[in-house]
Amino acid sequence: MTKTFFPVTLGLAVSLVGGTALADEVTLHALMEDVPETNIIEKMLPEFERETGIKVEFEKVGYGDMHDKLVAQLVGGQSYYNLLEVDFLWAGEFPAAGWLEDLKPYAEKTGFDMSAFIPSTMDLMGNTKDTMPLVPMYNYSMGLIYRTDLLNAPDLKAAYKSETGQELEPPKTLEAYVRVAKFMKAHGKVNGAAMQGQKGDPNAMEFSNYLFSAGGDYLDVDGKVVLASKAGETALRLYKDAINNAAQTGALSATLDDTMRLMCAGEAFSMVTYWWMLPQIDNAESCPNVAGKVALSVMPGGHGESGGWGWGIAKNVPAEEKDAAWKFITWVQSTDVAVARAMEGHAPVRADVYVNSDVLAKYAFYKDAMAVVESGKSFPIFTYSAQYEDTLGTQVSLAASGDVTVTDALQAAASGLTDLMNK
Amino acid sequence: MITKTTDMLRAGWGFAGPGLTMLAIVMGLPVLYAAAISLSSMTLIHPELNITGFGNFVTIMSEPLFWNSLGITLRYSAATVLGEFVVGLGIALMLRRVIVMRGVYFAVLTLPMAMSPVAVALIWRMLLQPNLGIVNQTLAGLGLPMIDWLGNSDLALKTMIFIDIWQQTSFVILLLSAGLASLPRDPYEAAEVDGAAPLQQFWYITLPLLRPVAMIAVVIQLINEFRTYDLIYILTKGGPGISTELLSFFAYKRAFQGLALNEGSAAAFILLLIVLLITVVFFFLLERRKS
Repeated sequence: MTKTFFPVTLGLAVSLVGGTALADEVTLHALMEDVPETNIIEKMLPEFERETGIKVEFEKVGYGDMHDKLVAQLVGGQSYYNLLEVDFLWAGEFPAAGWLEDLKPYAEKTGFDMSAFIPSTMDLMGNTKDTMPLVPMYNYSMGLIYRTDLLNAPDLKAAYKSETGQELEPPKTLEAYVRVAKFMKAHGKVNGAAMQGQKGDPNAMEFSNYLFSAGGDYLDVDGKVVLASKAGETALRLYKDAINNAAQTGALSATLDDTMRLMCAGEAFSMVTYWWMLPQIDNAESCPNVAGKVALSVMPGGHGESGGWGWGIAKNVPAEEKDAAWKFITWVQSTDVAVARAMEGHAPVRADVYVNSDVLAKYAFYKDAMAVVESGKSFPIFTYSAQYEDTLGTQVSLAASGDVTVTDALQAAASGLTDLMNK
Repeated sequence: MITKTTDMLRAGWGFAGPGLTMLAIVMGLPVLYAAAISLSSMTLIHPELNITGFGNFVTIMSEPLFWNSLGITLRYSAATVLGEFVVGLGIALMLRRVIVMRGVYFAVLTLPMAMSPVAVALIWRMLLQPNLGIVNQTLAGLGLPMIDWLGNSDLALKTMIFIDIWQQTSFVILLLSAGLASLPRDPYEAAEVDGAAPLQQFWYITLPLLRPVAMIAVVIQLINEFRTYDLIYILTKGGPGISTELLSFFAYKRAFQGLALNEGSAAAFILLLIVLLITVVFFFLLERRKS
């Protein structure tokens, strides 16, 4: 009896303790875009798990698959993904559908300091003084990357001066940029601009830069649609001009990858793109033709398109998972971890990381990058932002291909925005 | 006698029952659910299934974009199926005369069919890349101008049709080759005795005898082409402008970008009805010829 009683009791005790431990163990599941930022964080996960005992699992997929997979979980009874990576384009839709926890009470309760986050990155996530659906994760604001060797070439400088009567220098206005890009295509033996004109996200994002550079906007301070303005017309006219007279053959079907390859191969003078593309292009191993010959600047005109990802917490998950997710967010966005991420190439959202001496010692251009991030303006963030990208992209594409006039395309894009905002 | 018939009926239902039940669960339920969504107010923002009637169909059909997509879909499907049939029949007829290495030819010609449309789209995307792609580089090497295959609104749909024909013709070749192999020899021998030329034999014997198989090939390919989505998604996203926006892509955008599952389902249902109508008409014609 004693012989059997002891093992049975021990077994029961072990299973009880084990069971309790299992019940206490929280695992965070996050659907992540398969990009370098994710890999940087993934390498640091063991450190977080050691510190907190919370396990984190990343499921990495392409951008195109993320929205639908997330939505399928968020509309259900309980989401498998408790920690959410959310694109700014969904920052209107997800809170409107009631899928996200408001993180403001979490920040207040734990005393997490949000003041270090660059205001434009907070605005981009749809955060207001009353609510905070998302904490900025990383930034993908857009600026101008251009070839300094071509801009400083004496023969090109002389030719530009004789053709235009002006100095060949970094452009300060959108009009000047398109003029220089066209000149480079005509005389520089390169494409003046590597453009991503495929309709949808690529051309909508690219055109936004033109719009903000020309002094235009989608909405005024009262939220009224002001896209069909004089500045808007200038922006679309110059965009069309650039596509037809400065860009590479096939610009209307090109995506980010195409422009990157072109710039990397040394076959383009400039590209309007995400600022963190600079280290990839300015890389002697991957892009030997242009390494050391490229620079980054804010879009001529002073403003480019902002973009970024944020962290959110699903509403339809248990409370302990929400707390664990918040613990992870505060850890991964803390100064120390953000600096460590930046040393690996992270695109920060905290101002203190951009001015960190170690970061600047490794990446001097982060000074320019911060200017790009700070000056960025946002695409309209509302429930149907993703659909509006397509509506706008279609009109921009139609105008650029000459199938409709610039004025008609702009009117259609503006009324499309009004319709979707009133939906 | 009555007992025997009843027993046979029971046995028939008994054998067919499991298969029919599986079909009802796997295909019937989702189709019914999609039908219900298309008649409801369900969106991704408001996912409640409240039946509201045919309003979504009216909304969709009142949009010029829908009719544009439908028109492009009809043109695309007709052109691809015609191309696949003509090329497929030509190759099948040539293969009929091949004796040496026949298997190798079939294996090579079947390769595109075995590839996923996404892989095909990615391969062609690289080949047709306007600046660095091998096609334009070859043209440039020959001193010819580079062509904007997918970025020109006049050319993009034609390029898509060509790529689709390239991939889907294999299936038509296989089907028509099987049909040609099963044709009886007697009519040909009789025609040769009567002095009929090869072209006359093809026109008056091969084509009429091949008609049932050919019609099945055409129906299957029409169904496939109406559903084309992957190529558009990878290659053009419906652009430039709206020049390659097929109905399937329109439905996808409505459901997942516009968050309107109900309108997306309505568009998908219209597509289903068109395909169903075409299938029924073709099979009706086939049966009428048989009878």
